[in-house]
Amino acid sequence: MMQIKGAHLYQVLHLKGDRQDFDFVKTSLAAKGFDVVYDINGREAVEVAPILDALPNLEQYIYCSSAGVYLKSDLLPHFETDAVDPKSRHKGKLETESLLESRDVNWTSIRPVYIYGPLNYNPVEEWFFHRLKAGRPIPIPGAGNQITQLGHVKDLATAFGLVLGNPKASKQVFNISGAKYVTFDGLARACAKAGGFPEPEIIHYNPKDFDFGKKKAFPFRDQHFFASIEKATKELGCTPEYDLVDGLTDSYNLDFGRGTFRKEADFTTDDIILGKKLVSV
Amino acid sequence: MAFSSTAAATAAAAFASGHRSAACRPSSKSSSSFLGASFPRVSAVRRCAASGAPARRAVAVTVRAQAASAGGKKSVLIVNTNGGGHAVIGFYFAKELLAAGHAVTVLTVGEEGSDKMKKTPFSRFSELTSAGAKTVWGDPADVGAVVSGASFDVVLDNNGKDLDAVKPVADWAKAAGVGQFLFVSSAGIYTTSDEPPHVEGDAVKESAGHVGVEKYIAGEFTNWASFRPQYMIGSGNNKDCEEWFFDSKNTNPPAKILANFQIPTRTNLRKKRNLAGIVRKRPVPIPGSGMQITNIAHVRDLASMLALAVESPGAAAGKIFNSVCDRAVTFNGLVKMCAAAAGIDAEIVHYDPAAVGVDAKKAFPFRNMVPPH
Repeated sequence: MMQIKGAHLYQVLHLKGDRQDFDFVKTSLAAKGFDVVYDINGREAVEVAPILDALPNLEQYIYCSSAGVYLKSDLLPHFETDAVDPKSRHKGKLETESLLESRDVNWTSIRPVYIYGPLNYNPVEEWFFHRLKAGRPIPIPGAGNQITQLGHVKDLATAFGLVLGNPKASKQVFNISGAKYVTFDGLARACAKAGGFPEPEIIHYNPKDFDFGKKKAFPFRDQHFFASIEKATKELGCTPEYDLVDGLTDSYNLDFGRGTFRKEADFTTDDIILGKKLVSV
Repeated sequence: MAFSSTAAATAAAAFASGHRSAACRPSSKSSSSFLGASFPRVSAVRRCAASGAPARRAVAVTVRAQAASAGGKKSVLIVNTNGGGHAVIGFYFAKELLAAGHAVTVLTVGEEGSDKMKKTPFSRFSELTSAGAKTVWGDPADVGAVVSGASFDVVLDNNGKDLDAVKPVADWAKAAGVGQFLFVSSAGIYTTSDEPPHVEGDAVKESAGHVGVEKYIAGEFTNWASFRPQYMIGSGNNKDCEEWFFDSKNTNPPAKILANFQIPTRTNLRKKRNLAGIVRKRPVPIPGSGMQITNIAHVRDLASMLALAVESPGAAAGKIFNSVCDRAVTFNGLVKMCAAAAGIDAEIVHYDPAAVGVDAKKAFPFRNMVPPH
């Protein structure tokens, strides 16, 4: 995407194509000759190579990686220097970071935790909002004291802006997310506040007692997962605008609260949990 | 990261934030032989190495040594509790100050001859006196008399948990023209939050004694600072938090817990005599899932922080500091690290304190963060 300033109008040029068509990527980008690349959706190193090949004079390659690359740890939060997990689901992101490092390009890698905000394609807050709206209890695995972290997409976008042309971002990795973490139970309560719902009924369950097949019963990984944003705060002057409830309220007001969402409500796994819970009582 | 108290309310695992540069400051001193002391310092060193801090560390030592001559030698009074988890703070702080060339007096509450003085760190006070410290005993309410009218530039109250205990010291210090008043508070005063970590400025329990003290000294002194620690470890500790993992002395609760378990066969044979204790290769009973988070700092890092406040009074003035490690750790993680420090594989056994009929507060030395179901 290229932004062209012309006669009081900002135009965004939209090149449409298949990212997996590496020849197309290489030729179309080379033809345009960009100075900076923001790679928001790259998953595998092979997808990035053609872009680098197409743009040998690139000033900066800014990559949206993921805090999912960190090796699970008992010591938290994750810092950018922590061990990464070469076997994780996000290993493609790691391989991309390695490729960037090896290709002598000025790269910056951003590692968000859980992203939320209006138009979120990933049912993070939406998952809670569906249940709150339906007046359903919120089933949360384990004790609900697992700690996670959400970052508003607007704050993430701001961070992406702050690294542009920033020498402090050259060949650096930054965790970007909210300033505070939140427990699973706390997140349910925060979503309720955001949507003006009453305090939710939370049902805890042991996920090992159930077989949900391929369905996901809960949108977060069942573990503590949070990262320190201290480096970005210190080096980039990056401070999140939204705290959790304000951010979730923003998401609710601009998206779910208007009747829009990405995935239809699916309470199948909830009913499995609630059914078993009622029986055991 | 310090966490708030108790199970009574809702959620939970809140903890306080400790920033990297402040809390992570490994000491140049070599350690004791006590197993538990080595691991957090080791990990602190590793982190510092990763962030490129070794050079800074060397510089810091030089700066500290020169502080006494540069900023002037200061005369510091430490009013120290005679027991509990905070007792060791005064001991390490005194050592830091002495190494930097300052004059130190330690006023320990109570009597020199009391049984409490047979425990560490008090039993190691010769390490302070041989380095030039004065050690006196008495009632902080009579501090002026106990220190025989001596005057000080800095006073640290590492004793009082409420205004009744601290006010006499603070009032005396103010009247005596003490330049800087420091207070060891507690991260336990933060109110429960759904959103960890606790940062300075977060809501605290207004009824907490430490809160009353912080407010009072803020009103009385221009140059005051308060330090909120969570858990501390280090050799010379008065309270046995890490020792519990290494060799539990609490016989009854662990035995009762373990009696209710299906433990793998090789341990069944030892079940009846079992007590938790990694060194004795026994399973470690942990309440709940073991996912509960806590923050444990080495007391040396806390002492460094206090020493920095003495050396840079302007930077510390009027401020509250969480005095914690830059990382929190789960209970499970803590067991694994103790085991690694001891060079042994630990076996963890999780239990529900309610189901077993054990008061987790007595059976386990850290506050249990399992929320009620």
